[in-house]
Amino acid sequence: MTTSETLSASSPLSTVNGKTTNLARVVRSEWIKIRSLRSTWIFALCILLIIVGFGVLSAMVVSGDITPQGGGQRPDAATRSPLGIVLTGANLAVLIVAVMGSIVGAREFGTGMIRTTFSAVPKRLPVLWSKLAVFIAVVLPVVVMGVVAVFFLGMGILDAGGYETVAWGDENVARNILGTAYYIVGLGMMGVALGVLLRSTAAAIGIVIGAVLILPALASALLPDSWDALLKYLPSNAGNAFTSNSQLGGILLSPGFGLAMFTGWIVLAIAAAAVVLNRRDA
Amino acid sequence: MIEVVDLTKRFGDVTAVDGISFTVRPGVVTGFLGPNGAGKSTTMRAILGLDKPTSGTATVNGRAFRDAPAPLTVMGAMLEAKAVDKGRSARSHLLGLAATIGVGRTRVDEVLNMVGLSDVAKKNAGGFSLGMSQRLGIATALLGDPEVVMLDEPVNGLDPDGIMWIRGLLKELAAQGRVVFASSHLMSEMELTADQLIVIGRGRILADTTMEGFIAMSSQHRVVVVSPDATALREALVGPGVTITSLQPSRLELEGVDSRQVGETAARLGFVLHQLTDVAPSLEEAFMELTEDSVTFRASMTHEGNAA
Repeated sequence: MTTSETLSASSPLSTVNGKTTNLARVVRSEWIKIRSLRSTWIFALCILLIIVGFGVLSAMVVSGDITPQGGGQRPDAATRSPLGIVLTGANLAVLIVAVMGSIVGAREFGTGMIRTTFSAVPKRLPVLWSKLAVFIAVVLPVVVMGVVAVFFLGMGILDAGGYETVAWGDENVARNILGTAYYIVGLGMMGVALGVLLRSTAAAIGIVIGAVLILPALASALLPDSWDALLKYLPSNAGNAFTSNSQLGGILLSPGFGLAMFTGWIVLAIAAAAVVLNRRDA
Repeated sequence: MIEVVDLTKRFGDVTAVDGISFTVRPGVVTGFLGPNGAGKSTTMRAILGLDKPTSGTATVNGRAFRDAPAPLTVMGAMLEAKAVDKGRSARSHLLGLAATIGVGRTRVDEVLNMVGLSDVAKKNAGGFSLGMSQRLGIATALLGDPEVVMLDEPVNGLDPDGIMWIRGLLKELAAQGRVVFASSHLMSEMELTADQLIVIGRGRILADTTMEGFIAMSSQHRVVVVSPDATALREALVGPGVTITSLQPSRLELEGVDSRQVGETAARLGFVLHQLTDVAPSLEEAFMELTEDSVTFRASMTHEGNAA
């Protein structure tokens, strides 16, 4: 490495006409940062492949195009809605998006980069808003593209196999599909918020996946039915209210309330992250 | 200008910084010296707004750094060289930060060139050596062409070439009228670079002075004389407050007398001198003495003051 470079080429205090740091510039900064990490695009590709791939696969299994190896039982199409079948991959993608969100939120705390970031944006909060914004900018198009694509591909496969299908225009279908996209991205946002809050990728992933996705299912299985009145307010159950048709005989909230409840959880996580980010020594 | 007023920072029971006040002015290189754990980094973090002071204030150009409209143009800082995101190139790292003040590729390439990283600009910054990371950190600090440059241990991890380079850089930044504030736990790193010294130990300011003032404060100022008439000269110079040691017959080491007095005495008596040297105390020694124990320091300073 050469060491002969000097500053003399640049005249003092004049080369940079720095502009005021505002939210738009911080968003641009975070966009450059997320864009320049290869893992961002690997995640995006994985999310798309999982949503479309597993949805198509599932439809092919149900319609008999593929026989599960070892002569395993063919899933009974009658017990699952056509939409549920093609969104199989979407339900798996939730995990990947939650992991990605946690990494987007916690990554800089792990490396110490956050202190460099805060040296450029000492007000801090714009960094949180920007991280959320660029995360949505990457993930939302991919997820929406994925669920819409797998809907038409999957329905085509089911139709060709002579199975029951639903059309985009049917009651609640578009709502459930876009609701699923919102649910996936929403849990990712919760991952971002928890990543910032906990400053640890592992802890954030653990909480999002464990507490948000697994615990409610576990609790409803283990706890007496009388608890259901409470469990329906949990993020995953609130999400079910607007991503599926099955209201499970009043065990779930109404779709509108579910949407509001789920959004409330996200807002709560983000608010907690904002408060802590602002107060804590970095 | 950096102004720290009555700054205290406690972490639980531990007081990292204990009511310190100092000012860092433009146009000179100010060294911030102290042993590891003395509170240097905590102070710098408070100036940057990363740590909230328990009490007191730290301002940059008259206001909290947090309130700077375009922070990177006001102060550029490097706290930890390795605090970069692995998996991103040096250029992308800088481009991301530059975007916060609306500047782009031209300036990024300029600072990469300044620190000598142009050739590895597209390489993953996570794979950089400590020396290269240090340069990237300095590039980050210079990105906004800031009025204040604050570097924590900038020499750390640099090879001798790199150390020469950073010395030149700091002096040049100061000559351009900037505030240059650089910390170190090694006096040797600062003695050829800093004009102004702030010495911190156990969270308190032990000295805030010019480099010359710091040298003069030391009790170990000596004069070395080599003369064939050493024995006679010795007798002529003996007096109250003068300590003379002689390890070789022709060589004297004197304390409590300056080289002018020695030269004049020798000339008056017609002694031949082969060598007459002022030996400034090694700053390292002075620094060690100072930071050894703040109580001892105050006692010895008082003593020096009376003797002078």
